[in-house]
Amino acid sequence: MRFILAILKKDLIEFSREKIYMVLSVVGLVLFAVVFWLIPDTVQEQTTVGIYPGENPLLILALDEAGNEDGLEIVRFAERDDLRRVIAGDLEVWTGEHGRTILRDRSAGERPPENARRVSPVIGIAFPDAPVSSEQPHAQIYVNSNTPREIRSAMESMIREIALAFAGAPLPVAEPAEDEIILGTDRLGRQISMRERMRPMLVYFVLMMETFALASLIAAEISQRTVLAVIATPAKLSHLLAAKAIHGIGLASLQAIILLAATVSFTADNWFVLVLASLLGAGMFTGIAMLVGSAGRDFIENLFFTVALVIPLAIPAFSVLMPGVGAAWVRYVPSYGIMNILTEVTSSGSGLSDLTIPLLTSLAWVTVIFGLGLVVLTKKVRSL
Amino acid sequence: MSQLQDAKAIQVGNIEYAYGSTKAVRGISFSVDRGEIFGFLGPNGAGKSTTIKMLTGQLIPRSGTISILGMAVHGHSAEVHQRIGVCFEEKNLYLQMSAEENLRFFASLFGIRRPDIRGLLERVNLASRSRDRVSTYSKGMRQRLMMARALINDPDVLFLDEPTDGLDPVSARAIRTIIREKAQEGTAVVLTTHDMYEADELSDRVAFITEGRFHAIDTPENLKLQHGSRSVVVRRRVPGSEVEELRLELDTDTFSQKLAEATSSGTVMTIHSEEATLEDIFVEVTGRGLE
Repeated sequence: MRFILAILKKDLIEFSREKIYMVLSVVGLVLFAVVFWLIPDTVQEQTTVGIYPGENPLLILALDEAGNEDGLEIVRFAERDDLRRVIAGDLEVWTGEHGRTILRDRSAGERPPENARRVSPVIGIAFPDAPVSSEQPHAQIYVNSNTPREIRSAMESMIREIALAFAGAPLPVAEPAEDEIILGTDRLGRQISMRERMRPMLVYFVLMMETFALASLIAAEISQRTVLAVIATPAKLSHLLAAKAIHGIGLASLQAIILLAATVSFTADNWFVLVLASLLGAGMFTGIAMLVGSAGRDFIENLFFTVALVIPLAIPAFSVLMPGVGAAWVRYVPSYGIMNILTEVTSSGSGLSDLTIPLLTSLAWVTVIFGLGLVVLTKKVRSL
Repeated sequence: MSQLQDAKAIQVGNIEYAYGSTKAVRGISFSVDRGEIFGFLGPNGAGKSTTIKMLTGQLIPRSGTISILGMAVHGHSAEVHQRIGVCFEEKNLYLQMSAEENLRFFASLFGIRRPDIRGLLERVNLASRSRDRVSTYSKGMRQRLMMARALINDPDVLFLDEPTDGLDPVSARAIRTIIREKAQEGTAVVLTTHDMYEADELSDRVAFITEGRFHAIDTPENLKLQHGSRSVVVRRRVPGSEVEELRLELDTDTFSQKLAEATSSGTVMTIHSEEATLEDIFVEVTGRGLE
């Protein structure tokens, strides 16, 4: 044990002397915590639709009914052209007391209305001015160029529904009960904010930075052949490897835990799982650092190999940010389990019993990567 | 215990090593006594470093035996390492740490609770820079620190790989003085070097090695006697002619007569003896140079 402690102490002295690692570690931690708190914690759960109903009392009634539904806000316009200009971005629209629609022409220097809330319709639907019985009425849809395709499609469906209501006809199919629609936890009203989604990615970045620092230390130990001087003493290579592993896992997990604490992630129920996930992540990245340190000979090579290995591993962290875009194969990326655990614990309140499978999967990946790192580093030292 | 104390410092029996299919060391045997300086001479790739790595336990020989102070290196590596010092050819020091921190770290690996860091640094003339980072040291200072590190555990066997390579004459002389002092204290020293002058000056015995094989092991004097020729060179001015130089072979029956003839006529300007250098002997014995 005295060998491991002595080497560990030496490693910490070296680490503290490399200003770039110290700066990266300290500034990185502060920066990531600041970024976390700067990112909005609010979630836009409503889709706002601007509607010009013309003078159709039945339609107005149908709109009032639709407007009461969760997730849909309807702003009624008195003029078709106003709706078009709002969607085009030439006019602002605000809703005042009792849902009164207030228009503001910013370019004309008009002030924001008082006691009103600005709303931003993503789509506008203009119905015919008056019902014409002899012709099929045409509804006009105004779409801003930024409106996502899925919103446009949803609005087309909504027009059909409104049209049926307008015609006094029932929907051809019965609407399902809500509890049949929602599979899994219903997050309505408590969607995961961008801030919450950022958390696993920030933890990933902290682990990645420590990977680079440890890889550089290992690479220096090999390229300067100081490792040979160490194993020419009573200390063995296994002591050196153990010290590196403790150094890497200790520093990386400590920083991940500090970041999780700075982002108020810990609760009495989840701290154990979060610490476990941090340790697993630190173990995985320490293994990667050993691989990189064995391959890289200088700063640039270390940077190259670090980036080459950690970018694929970052995909699960990014897929948390953009749910729905991740392909099925992302589940097979080694870091997926750890990112999944962090997300589930901090965003969904999952506990140890809910996460047995991702924990075991992550442990298996960590064992493989860490083991591979040890084998490659041992072979490298033996080849010196 | 007394058996261990009586044992040779180093006893090597027919060791072999290969990197893949390339044989680096092909069955060499030798022994080194306590207090003896043993020089290892050979060109690059001759097998010197591989042999040293096997002796210091970094490589395991494919066959043969190695014992240091009576202990098998690969059965008692911790005990052997506790009693040896190694000065590598590469300046493998921790550059971001000071000389004092470097020595303190290695002392802790040897389990030395109160190492005499100051004394060691004074011995290699680095005491005034003990707290400066090694990255600020010159090549000579780093080499002297390497020597101090090799001595941190007061070793019974010292392995020195090119200890004065590239050093200025003053630093090289300081290192050689330390090597002699350690040998006088009873430490066995294994020295690998390209520098024939150094090997000649320091070594009690030298071994010539090329292509993984020993070609000769003996004292420098014996090697010169066996393989080299000695001569006396007489430079004289003969009236009416240029200065001429006569080379008279020593160790021959006619030497005295030839010397008398050479000095009896003309004006003798200089007389000096010449003997083959270790490098000449190396070339003669191995059939190749050291480069």
